[in-house]
Amino acid sequence: MSNLPDLVNFERVALRYGRGPEVLSDATLDLPQGSFTFLTGPSGAGKSTLLKLCYLSLIPSRGLIRMFGRDSALLTNSERQAIKRRIGVVLQDFHLIEHLSVYENVALPLRVSGQPRESYNDDVVELLQWVGLGHRMQAYPPTLSGGEKQRCAIARAVISKPDLLIADEPTGNVDPGIGRRLLRLFSEMNRMGTTILIATHDTHLIDEIDARVLRIENGMVFKGKPS
Amino acid sequence: MSAAPIEAPLLPNRLRNARALWVVLIIMALLAGCALLFARGAMRLSGDWQSQLSGTLTVQVILESSEDWGPQTNLARAALADAVPGADIELVSQDDAKALLKPWLGNAVLPDDLPVPGLINLTGNSISTASVQSALVEAGLKATIDDNSRYADQLRGTAKRLVGIGLGTLLLILMAGLSVNIFATRAGMTAQKEIIRVLVQVGASDKFIAKLFIGQALRRGALGAAIGLCFAAILWGILSLTSEWGGLGWTGFTAGLKDILWLICLGVIFAGICAAAAGITAARQLAFERKRL
Repeated sequence: MSNLPDLVNFERVALRYGRGPEVLSDATLDLPQGSFTFLTGPSGAGKSTLLKLCYLSLIPSRGLIRMFGRDSALLTNSERQAIKRRIGVVLQDFHLIEHLSVYENVALPLRVSGQPRESYNDDVVELLQWVGLGHRMQAYPPTLSGGEKQRCAIARAVISKPDLLIADEPTGNVDPGIGRRLLRLFSEMNRMGTTILIATHDTHLIDEIDARVLRIENGMVFKGKPS
Repeated sequence: MSAAPIEAPLLPNRLRNARALWVVLIIMALLAGCALLFARGAMRLSGDWQSQLSGTLTVQVILESSEDWGPQTNLARAALADAVPGADIELVSQDDAKALLKPWLGNAVLPDDLPVPGLINLTGNSISTASVQSALVEAGLKATIDDNSRYADQLRGTAKRLVGIGLGTLLLILMAGLSVNIFATRAGMTAQKEIIRVLVQVGASDKFIAKLFIGQALRRGALGAAIGLCFAAILWGILSLTSEWGGLGWTGFTAGLKDILWLICLGVIFAGICAAAAGITAARQLAFERKRL
């Protein structure tokens, strides 16, 4: 794994919102291709901010971010969008589109990339059944429970078989059984070559599989679990 | 595997969300349609008037006594026939000429020896007032020439102003339509911020997102134009039935058909303006949001 190039590389990255204090300062990390990494740290440490930088939703105040071997500051709009299409994201607040059904939400990345519906219909249905939402395909997000929304968001993130999957507390709203099932899905994806970065508080989750662990403290990134 | 469900629009398209906007668009399309029909009607009326007046001229042969009427008018007619060979020359009878004085003199019985001027109407293409005048002078006649084309010029000027007012109003309404759609797109983008965020997240380009707003605005503009312009056509049809509107309304099938074709063109332009406003606004707004990051 170590011989493979880094998919994500941060060099002394800092970020501040407006004129506030730096949320991240001198954050340096790398995500080798095909790695499985947990990101942990106390609430407010900057985990979500770091993830946002990883999926190009924020621009750093200083420092260098390389994504898929490219300096993120030099990306054109189309290159940025092309890289985003290679990243699957699961956010804490799910970000599902309320007027679209579960099926439509999950199929969204494929629809946006211009794939014909016939080419992905079976994949979407299969994945929804796998995450336990086969019977809720035509339901709308406002009618879903927190766990169902979570699974829908995860299904949307993985449907396009991304090179990099970023998840923010992906098992926070699901029962342990579903949580383990989702973790198995992530492990399976990782085995197939997807690089995984999961931010979590859940130490049990971290203990479930053998993966790299990074922790954020005082705006900096360290290797290893918190002591 | 189950059949693919019907693809839902990515932007919500519920009528109740934009009822006020629909009303504004329909009213604007109605006003634009009325302005266009007014301009077209004024153009048509001006054409009718000009064709009636252009190329006509009236010669008044001034007489010393009523006995000169016959010889002098014959002399004048002969001179005019030489001066303007292709023209249609019509001599107004003495009785008809006297009748024309009635509005000024009332119903009083006119004396038989009243030297009523001899009136000759000339109709033809490109009659030169100067050549008519010189022919009459050469014939030794005392005459004045009433060139009706000068009324045509006045009418043409008035009609041009009316057409200008109609087209100017139309332009203003279309500009207002543009502004309304810019505002509506901005409001729509703010209301649908979460959807845009998700779309950006899953890799949608600015072009893809702008196209969604273009499609939405195009449908809205086309439907608003169709309803508003139908109302305008119905209104114009009703007004055309009343005699007060005369030639400004639809004077016949051809006039009505041509105007309806113009209304269809206007509908296409109206919908196009809505779509263009949405596209440009969405693209600019997305670029602005990216810079704000």
